[in-house]
Amino acid sequence: MTDSDTTLALSTPPDDIDTVQDFVQRVLEHHTDIVDIDRFAFETALVELASNVIQHAAAGTGITCVLSIHADDHELSARISDTGTAGAVTLSGPALPEDLAESGRGLALIQMLVDSVHFERTGDRNVWTISRARHPLP
Amino acid sequence: MNFRTETIAGNVAAIRADGRLNMVSAPLLREVVSAAITAGTVRIVVDLSGVDFMDSSGLGALIGGLKVARQAGGDLRIAGATPQVALVFELTHLDRILQNHATAETAYRD
Repeated sequence: MTDSDTTLALSTPPDDIDTVQDFVQRVLEHHTDIVDIDRFAFETALVELASNVIQHAAAGTGITCVLSIHADDHELSARISDTGTAGAVTLSGPALPEDLAESGRGLALIQMLVDSVHFERTGDRNVWTISRARHPLP
Repeated sequence: MNFRTETIAGNVAAIRADGRLNMVSAPLLREVVSAAITAGTVRIVVDLSGVDFMDSSGLGALIGGLKVARQAGGDLRIAGATPQVALVFELTHLDRILQNHATAETAYRD
């Protein structure tokens, strides 16, 4: 597999989480040697993260967001930068809510699916980065 | 994503879902479950065999549906979970609450 960096710019609305996932799938399908568990985990983490950005950062007015994906033989990583309001983000270990809670699992799930999650407020943008080490090629 | 509801043996409402169960489609699933219960069928099975992707909002909708069904004296079960869906259930430990059944038709065979 060769290294690749691919970027999507989107505005919500009209773009939504399906726009993001279509993009992620298009990027990953170029890398046919990614094993299923890495693909599922990375795609799920990225959709969770983008959903979180769209849902919590929008504050009713919509946002613009830039998503970049990097893939190489060793790692899958992504960066999401958005114009949403500054979020109060606490990244401790993954903590799941009670069993019958109907929300509150997204961030915990992301932390379980990838090796690193990082958030920072840079100027007027929220910037998230995630990465997952790939299973070694056979 | 679309949902089709049909009544199967045992007076069970089988909700067949296709596509992605995410923040766009999860609210619709909640409505479909509520509609089945309002129509008088409180035993629900959500057939996930056509769902190739589910995130935490999809999980939330299933848990919401389970609570509504139980409050009505019924239950909500799942069937046909695909590998990505099974992974999400497993990581969140919700496979203890919503155990996967092979098919919608066998979900209430106990």
